[in-house]
Amino acid sequence: MGGLFPIVGNTLRELARSKLFYNLVLFSALLIGASIFVAQLTVGEWSRVILDMGLSSIEGVGVLLACLIGVGLVAGEIDRRTIYPTLAKPVTRATFLTARYAGLALILAANVALMLGVLALTLRMAGSHYSPASLPAALLLLIELWLIAALAMFYASFTTPTLAVAFCLSTFLVGHLVSDLRAYGERSKSGLAKTVTMALYRALPNLELLNLKAQAANDLPVPEGFVSRAALYGLLYAAVILLLAIAIFRRRDLK
Amino acid sequence: MTLAPLRAGLLIALFALTLFVRESADRLRPSPPATTFDVPPIPTDVARPLSFGFASVGADLAFLEAVQVHGGRKTNRSERSEAAADRALARLVRYAVEMDPKYRGAYRFAGMALIRHTTDGKAVNVLVAEQILQQGTRERPDDWQIFFNLGFIQSYYLGHMADAAESLWRASRLKGAPKYLGLLATRLAADAGDMRVARALAEEMVTRASEESTRAEWDARLRDIEMEERARFLDQAVSRFRELRGHDPDSLQDLVRAGILREIPTEPHGGRFLIEDGVVVSSEGGRLRVRGRKGTQAELEVR
Repeated sequence: MGGLFPIVGNTLRELARSKLFYNLVLFSALLIGASIFVAQLTVGEWSRVILDMGLSSIEGVGVLLACLIGVGLVAGEIDRRTIYPTLAKPVTRATFLTARYAGLALILAANVALMLGVLALTLRMAGSHYSPASLPAALLLLIELWLIAALAMFYASFTTPTLAVAFCLSTFLVGHLVSDLRAYGERSKSGLAKTVTMALYRALPNLELLNLKAQAANDLPVPEGFVSRAALYGLLYAAVILLLAIAIFRRRDLK
Repeated sequence: MTLAPLRAGLLIALFALTLFVRESADRLRPSPPATTFDVPPIPTDVARPLSFGFASVGADLAFLEAVQVHGGRKTNRSERSEAAADRALARLVRYAVEMDPKYRGAYRFAGMALIRHTTDGKAVNVLVAEQILQQGTRERPDDWQIFFNLGFIQSYYLGHMADAAESLWRASRLKGAPKYLGLLATRLAADAGDMRVARALAEEMVTRASEESTRAEWDARLRDIEMEERARFLDQAVSRFRELRGHDPDSLQDLVRAGILREIPTEPHGGRFLIEDGVVVSSEGGRLRVRGRKGTQAELEVR
């Protein structure tokens, strides 16, 4: 794994200079800040609206960052042929992909931390504070973003940047529908439909497991042990996807 | 070169004509059906899964819209003149709690803001508010205000005193509920005629009371209930006397003299029972009644 840390550092520097990153982060911060004005339109539910809008902004912008930047870090480099000088050095493709992913994961974590700070400030200005479920919700949200970033790397490892972004965003949307997919399969009378839907249910990521926004907004308790189990699920799924991406990327002809 | 100002003028005139035509077309446009404005056009069964994890934001938007509709709704109007706003409000609040069934604020809002008293003597949105609050008690059994609002609607608008007593009783057992709720629940249960419920509620509160002052308060309420039970027993005896003699007894001793009662029961507070204008009262305080009720508290036609 020689060369891992220099590539991670390089990725961080590259992303820190990215206009796309700053624009999305600024947009997210503005959305969170604006939630205080939206909250004034409601009655007695200020903190709920701010928390809801804040966590949703963090998630929405985070998913865009993970998909667009994640794809750009691999497929973009292949497309622009800027990957060749890196791979000409004694760096394996696995190291390259892992380092790129680690850099992106760190940037996503920094983004979530920064946005949580903005959200805390907004809540404070509204005379409120985080509900007990807010931080577990933010943690699972970050893991969801890491999972999406792994998916972005996976799709980028075998297809064009445009298709990879489309696949990545589609998986995010479908990932929030898998519970309904299961319900559909259970209700279906066709054996084939049952098998196919259950196979898809198990293969696709269940992103609703990583969604505690409603719990946080409604100030509801989180069942004991749920956060650790859901976080473990998300991290394991991301690891599996990243390993698949590495396996495909190793065999890919970059000429 | 000389044509340039003419061309510019023609362009401006053409643009002005476009604006004029747009305005006139807008005036002639058929008004859309009012129902399309009530709620977002996508049913919640579809909108919830298709919100891709952002269902609670959808609920917020519906709730914000409900607050705006409520702000614009005029209260001192007939049922018909504000019917569209009443309907929109009810559907938006229902939409919010269907999108996010745990939405505490929307349930509280349903209890406090949905119902409107009309100038033609009606109370609209009562039944829908009760339904939404019933859902609220299932989804948010931790919130005393939802139970309290439900209890208020059941007692004030619907006259369902036993149901109201149960709602207030459940509210009284939740964190943050004011102390008087339990007392109010027993009063409602007594008013509904169910003294056994009232007694059971009070006895449980005595056993649950951790402070001496609270226990004393509930002991006093138990004595009130006992007084009410005995007063009702006397009411029946007075009715019997009326049937036999055709007039009200002058005093409760008349009941003993007529052989209807062996003796007058003691007043649990240490006072005595009296009869005033044919009604049994206690010398130590009022009977357990919710004042001013006739049919329903509201005496309004409930919708």
